[in-house]
Formats: sequence, C-alpha cells, structure tokens
Amino acid sequence: MIKKKIHIENAVRKLRFNSDEMTQQGLAELVGVSRQTIVAIEKYKYTPSLDLAFKIALAFDREIQEVFFIN
Amino acid sequence: MNIKIRNTLTEIISASIAIIWMYSKLNAAANMSIASITQVLVQGIGISILATIFFAIVIAIVSAIITKSEEKNVVDERDNMIEFYAWRLSGVIFGISLVIILALLGWFNLPINLGIIAITFSVFLASICSTFLKIYLYR
Repeated sequence: MIKKKIHIENAVRKLRFNSDEMTQQGLAELVGVSRQTIVAIEKYKYTPSLDLAFKIALAFDREIQEVFFIN
Repeated sequence: MNIKIRNTLTEIISASIAIIWMYSKLNAAANMSIASITQVLVQGIGISILATIFFAIVIAIVSAIITKSEEKNVVDERDNMIEFYAWRLSGVIFGISLVIILALLGWFNLPINLGIIAITFSVFLASICSTFLKIYLYR
C-alpha cells in the first residue's frame, strides 16, 4: 500500500506558451472550466479530475503523462 | 480580485448586514413575544437575500466599469469541490452550535425566545464561516 502523499506536477504553463502563447482564458474555454481553475492547476494548487486532465491533454494534442506527472 | 471571491464577499457582506440589523432589533428579546421575534428573524433573512442580490449587481457593475470587461461566471469541478467543503464546514458549525444552544437552554433554563434567536444566528455564523473557507480556497 502506498501511503506516501503524491505531489502531481504539470506542464500546462509550458505547453500553453508552446501552443502559440494560448491564454489561460483560451484554454479554460477549450476545456470548459473557469480561468481561475487553470490558474490553480498551473500553480499546483489544484489537481484536476481524470476527466479534466484528459481534456487538457487533448487540448494540447499530447498524452496525459506528458502534461501531468509525478516529480 | 476574481469573480469567485467577489461573489463570496457579497455573501459575507449581506449576511453581516442581516446579522447587525437583527441584533439591533432583538436587544430586548427576552421580553418579546415569539411572534414578534420570528417576524424580525424572517425580515432579517429577507434583508439578507435582498442585500445579496443588490451587492451582486452593484459589484458586477463596478467591476465591469473598472476592468472594462465582463467576466463569465463558469461553474466547474473545482467550484463544486469548494462548495462541498463549504457546505460540510457550515453543517459541522451549525450542528455543534445547535447542540450547544440546546444544552445551554436546558442547563440554565433559558427562555425559548433566546433559543430561536441563537439558532437563527448560528445559521448565519455557519454561512459566514463557510464563505471565509471559500475565500481561503479561492485565493
């Protein structure tokens, strides 16, 4: 049993800038959440659900493990 | 300040106004009839609702003037999670308050007038605490 707390990080900010400097609002509208949620995800303050994580990965046309990973 | 925190501040302001208004009307509660106390409490709840609507409109207009853009209030999974935590906290606070109020009423043989007032105030207290939690989670 894994008892250690997992800290999930992400590359959303980097991928956003690599995608023609997509804005947080643009990504938020693309995946159907508020801009504040994207801000919270980028600051690692909020870990999205699997559903939202897949949507974000699809928005960047990447595999989910390229966007969200354990450091 | 984002739209989520603005909405939460609106809730705190309106609840505070309702509490202050009710407190000013109920300073002689021990001698008031239950009918007049419940009238004040219902009016207080009405004031709270009206104040919420009023401040939501005013803050939205002021914000739109300052930022020159209208921010959409999209509700997503994070909002639902924060709302759930806030509800849970307000439920716990109200539950504890209710037990304390009932215990004090029985212990000190206090009039039921005070019980009704205290229970209503505990609802507002629970609401204010939950909105502070929301602000903390949204910041």
